[in-house]
Amino acid sequence: MHEMAIAQGIIDIAVAAAQREGAQRITRINVVAGELRGVVHLQLTFCFGVLAEETIASGAYLNLEITPIKGRCRECGQTFIVEDYQYVCPGCQSRDIQMVGGTELRIRDIEVD
Amino acid sequence: MKINVMTDVLEANDRIAAANREIFDKHGNLVLNLMSSPGAGKTTLLERTAEALRGKLRLGVIAGDIETTRDSERLQKYQLPVVQLTTGTACHLDANMIASALPHLDLSGIDILLIENVGNLVCPAEFKVGEDYKVMILSVTEGDEKPLKYPLMFRESSLLLINKIDLLPYTNFSLEEAKRNARKVNPDLETMEVCCTTGEGIGAWVSWLVERYQARFGKLRRA
Repeated sequence: MHEMAIAQGIIDIAVAAAQREGAQRITRINVVAGELRGVVHLQLTFCFGVLAEETIASGAYLNLEITPIKGRCRECGQTFIVEDYQYVCPGCQSRDIQMVGGTELRIRDIEVD
Repeated sequence: MKINVMTDVLEANDRIAAANREIFDKHGNLVLNLMSSPGAGKTTLLERTAEALRGKLRLGVIAGDIETTRDSERLQKYQLPVVQLTTGTACHLDANMIASALPHLDLSGIDILLIENVGNLVCPAEFKVGEDYKVMILSVTEGDEKPLKYPLMFRESSLLLINKIDLLPYTNFSLEEAKRNARKVNPDLETMEVCCTTGEGIGAWVSWLVERYQARFGKLRRA
C-alpha cells in the first residue's frame, strides 16, 4: 500500500505550491508516474480522497498519467519504449541499455482557484 | 490558474535519505537495504552473516517488523547492535523511520549496517533510506517468475540472493529462468545462490560485502 505515502506526498507538495501562489483551492493535480512504479490509480484516488479532507486539496481531481518504460541504447543512441521488460535495442540489438524513463513519480502541475 | 510544480512526490523522503547517507558516510558505514517477501530468509541471512563476519567487520542491524520483536530476539545471541523498528501497519521502512533509529545505534562501532526491511516485494522498493545498495532475497519456493511480477524491486537492487537452493529438487523453480527474468528487468543485477540454513554460498556473499566495504573505505579496520 505505497499509495498512502504517495498520496500524502502529493498533497503536501500541491498544498505548499498552491499556498505559495496565494491560491484558496486546488481543483486538479496532474501526476506523472512511470510504469515501473506500479501505482494503482483506484487505490491512489481513494487514499488521496481520505487524506485531502480538510485541506485546500479536498475535492481536487487527481489525474494520473502513466508513462512507459523508456531505454536509450548506449551503443547507437536510439531511444525506444521497453515492452515486456526486454532491454534490447530494436536498432542494433545491443543489451547495453540505459533506462531513461519509467521510474519517474512527480507532480507536473496543479490547477487552482 | 495553472501552477507548474515538477516536484518528485517522494522528495521529502529522498531528502531525509540523503541526510542519513551523509551520517553513514561520516561514520564509515556501508549500508545495505535488505528486501524480500515474508519468509524468504532475511533474518536467517542476518544470522549467517553475523557468524561469517565475526572478526572481519563489525555488523549492525536495523530490523523492521510489522508487530513483533521476534527478529531482534533471534539476533540477540550474536551480541550485535540491533535496533528493532516495529512499523505498525506500515508495509515498508522509509528514510524517516531509519533516521529515528540512528540515535539508538553507536554508528562509529559499526562497519556494515544491514537494514532488514519489512517483508514485501512492492513498497520497500519505492523508498530510499540512505543505503549504498539494495539487496534482495528471492527464495526458490516463491517461483522463478517473480522478477516479471515485481519489476521495480529487481530493477532497484544491485544484488539478488537466490535462497533455499537446497529445496530446488522439490520445486519447479528454474535457476536459469529466474536469472533470465531478473536480467530482463535489470541487466546489471548480480546474482548469487545461497542456502541460509546450511550456509552454502554464504562465503561468496560475505566476500561481496567485504569487497564493497574495502572499495568504499579502504582497509579493514580490525583484522
